[in-house]
Order: sequence, then C-alpha cells, then structure tokens
Amino acid sequence: MDNLFESPIFGVFITLLAFFGANALRKRIPLAIFNPVLMATVSIIVVLVVFKIDIEAYNKGGDLLTFFLGPSIVALGVFFYEKYEEIKNDFIPFFIAVIVGGLMSIVSVVLILLLFNVPLVIVKSLASKSVTTPIAIEVSKMIGGIPEITAGIVILVGIFGNAFGPAILKFMGITSKSALGAALGTAAHGIGTARALEEGKLTGVYSGLAMCVNGIVTAVVTPYIIDCFL
Amino acid sequence: MVKSLLYIFSFLVLGEFLKEVLHIPIAGNIVGMFLIFFALKFKLIKLSAVKPASDKLLKYLVLFFIPYGVGLLAYYQLIQAFWAYIAIAVVVSAVITLYLTAIILQKFGKNG
Repeated sequence: MDNLFESPIFGVFITLLAFFGANALRKRIPLAIFNPVLMATVSIIVVLVVFKIDIEAYNKGGDLLTFFLGPSIVALGVFFYEKYEEIKNDFIPFFIAVIVGGLMSIVSVVLILLLFNVPLVIVKSLASKSVTTPIAIEVSKMIGGIPEITAGIVILVGIFGNAFGPAILKFMGITSKSALGAALGTAAHGIGTARALEEGKLTGVYSGLAMCVNGIVTAVVTPYIIDCFL
Repeated sequence: MVKSLLYIFSFLVLGEFLKEVLHIPIAGNIVGMFLIFFALKFKLIKLSAVKPASDKLLKYLVLFFIPYGVGLLAYYQLIQAFWAYIAIAVVVSAVITLYLTAIILQKFGKNG
C-alpha cells in the first residue's frame, strides 16, 4: 500500500475525488460554508491524518496539479481583456476604487498583525490575503512568506466575503450593484466573485475585473509595503 | 485546444524570460498575464486563438490550488498559536477593503 501512496497517482486521484465530491455536495446544500474548495481541502486533510500519510507523499501528486497555476495566471489576462471591454466607460473610478481598497487591504492586515506581535513569517504570508490564490502564492513566495499558509487563509477570506460580504455592505449603506461587485472581487477574489455572479451579471463582471486589478496591484506593491513596515 | 494552450505557454515562457533578463521584481507568470492582455488589446493575437485553453484553465482554477490548502496541515502548530490574532486581523482588514472599494465606486461610478 505504501507504494501506492508514494506515487503521484495517489495525490492526483484523491484531489480529483475530493473536488468532484465537494462540488456534488454543494449542489445539494447551497450554503457558503459548504464551499467546494474548503470541503475538498478539509476532507483531504482528514484522509491524510487518519491514514497517517505524509504530506510529502501527497504532494507528489499535488505538485502536478499546482503546476497549472502558472498558465492559469496567464489565462486571467485573457479573462481581464474580455471583461474590460464591458466596463470601459466606468474604468477610471473603478480602477481608483480597487487600487485604494487593495492597498488598504495589505496595509491594514500587516499593521494589525504587527500590533499583535505575530511572527513576521505569518505577516508576510498574510499580506496578500485578499487576492486570487495563484497570485497570492506568488507574492508570498517572493516576500518570504509560507505559500501553504497564504493559500489556506486566502481561501478562508474568500469564503468570509462570499458568505457575509453583501450583508456587511448593505448594512454599511452600499446600494450600487457595481460597487458591490468591485468590493467583493477586491476583498474576496474568485470565491467572492462567485457570490457576485449570483447577485447579477453587472455585479459579476465588476467583481471579476476587480479580482484581476487587485491581483496586479498586490503583486506589484506588496514587496514595497513589506519593506516599509518591516 | 492544444494550439490555444501553446499560446498560453508561449506567454508564460516569455514572461519568465523577461523577468530573468530584465530583473523584473514580479513573478514571470504575472508578467505573462500583462503581456497576453496587451497582445489582445493591440490585436497582435485573436481572442478566439487563446480562449479555449484559458476558459478551461479558469474553470478548474480552484482544483489547482487545493494542494496548497492541504499543505496548511504542515503548519498547523504555527497557526494554532496565533489563530485568534490572525482571525481578527483578517476579518477587520477584509471589512475595511470591502467598504472602501464599495464607497468610492458608489460615489464616483457611472454604472449603478
């Protein structure tokens, strides 16, 4: 059996199984907490812990899947081009809103963590917490964070935005559909965008674009912000 | 599909190459994302030439980062020691980000 666990087949198989299983579950129970990424991740962790399988063994297959994050980031450029055409007339205010939100996202999380005297490696891992996971991972690697911590927190931030974002914004007096979308995409990346799409097409487009713009902003400025504060 | 994947990988390679040669302080794949956007915008390549592969990659994007989420397991003890601080920082920061972005666009946006 150990031979099977040591083969890349195991990691790929269990990830595919968990992913499609979690998607099937989500269709039956449409609650934010049953987010497919969260469910799949947690169920794989449970299997590894219960059967005492090394994370290194799992990663032999896992690495084959994460390899595709690189080309997926390039694909985001294509997505951005397509959606950009739809909101051209509103681009400047949109751009400013996302840049300000994105900058404050990095600055606020870094400052609060420093205030609590949390180890610097955690601060570096969380600086990019609001952007789409593949970009967050790249930023984290670049500034000396731990990509696994980044990915886990980014997914949780996305679920938080997905579950509570619209309610928080409505409570704070936001009525604009485009503003709701931009905020969800900036703060909660793709998982927030999934919720924005449920609120309507315009909201979804703004959210997807905001996710891309904030990804770029965060990739470019985070190393400098970290230099300033650490 | 394979041809459009070749396009995607060409931009990925180009991005990694430029990053190395010009010492750009951004990951090569993000440079590639910029390049493919401008190539589309200036009509150097057609959307239809890259769309089949890019749509598929984005459709399964979450599948590709699940292994990183699972990797969090190895850092369980580090996270456990600071989880309350992390939770407070992340939630407060997320609410600030949501509000600032939304209020600016609500005030100055044109599309409602």
